[in-house]
Amino acid sequence: MNVTINQEGNKYNVILEGRVDTSNAAQFEQDLKPLMESSNAEIQIDCSGMTYTSSQGLRYFLMLQKHVMSHKGSLVLCNMQPQVKEVFDITGFSNIIKIV
Amino acid sequence: MYSKRFEPIGDKCHEIIEYVMASPDIPSQDDLIFKIRLSIEEVIENIVQYAYENGSGFLEVSTKQEDGVLYINFTDAGTPFNPLDKPDPDISLSAEDRPIGGLGIFISKQMMDKIEYEYKDGCNVLTMSKRVIPA
Repeated sequence: MNVTINQEGNKYNVILEGRVDTSNAAQFEQDLKPLMESSNAEIQIDCSGMTYTSSQGLRYFLMLQKHVMSHKGSLVLCNMQPQVKEVFDITGFSNIIKIV
Repeated sequence: MYSKRFEPIGDKCHEIIEYVMASPDIPSQDDLIFKIRLSIEEVIENIVQYAYENGSGFLEVSTKQEDGVLYINFTDAGTPFNPLDKPDPDISLSAEDRPIGGLGIFISKQMMDKIEYEYKDGCNVLTMSKRVIPA
């Protein structure tokens, strides 16, 4: 799992690659920290390289969504692989996090 | 039968997942592998974290395939716990109202055809099944 964050002003372009699971959930949380401390941020996460997420990963996506909503920001996930999208669909996360 | 007993299990989550996924009963199609891995990860993670107070007990896993249906069995002697008692999350809630967590076993249930639990001879016995070869 690899998270790359490019920040320009209040725009965050994030590239997320690999698997988010039990073994690296703590690292994922750590990597997302700059986003969790942002305000008025426009966050876009490119998920084209994300091959897997367990409920551990979903936990942090929801925390991030809650954070941007309470800090006047926005979050968009894009280019999600179909299998990963299915996990977001069955858990209802597709309805509460913007996926394009 | 493909079967192994892990003890202690405290730091073996990843090892146990890899053992199950290496079973000859696991199908080779990517979409099925994805769903099976996700299902077992959620279950194994729960057992490793919560079954025993200090992670010192055992977890026995086994797999078999019968008539095109894959069965994966998990047996531990930890605190009696039926994960199926947990109500499904309300997936219609808004982001503000959605609680963090509580999705693990729900995801497993969605990905597999069936999950059954029984408490037998002092053990939690969880069996999940999924058709992997069309009838």
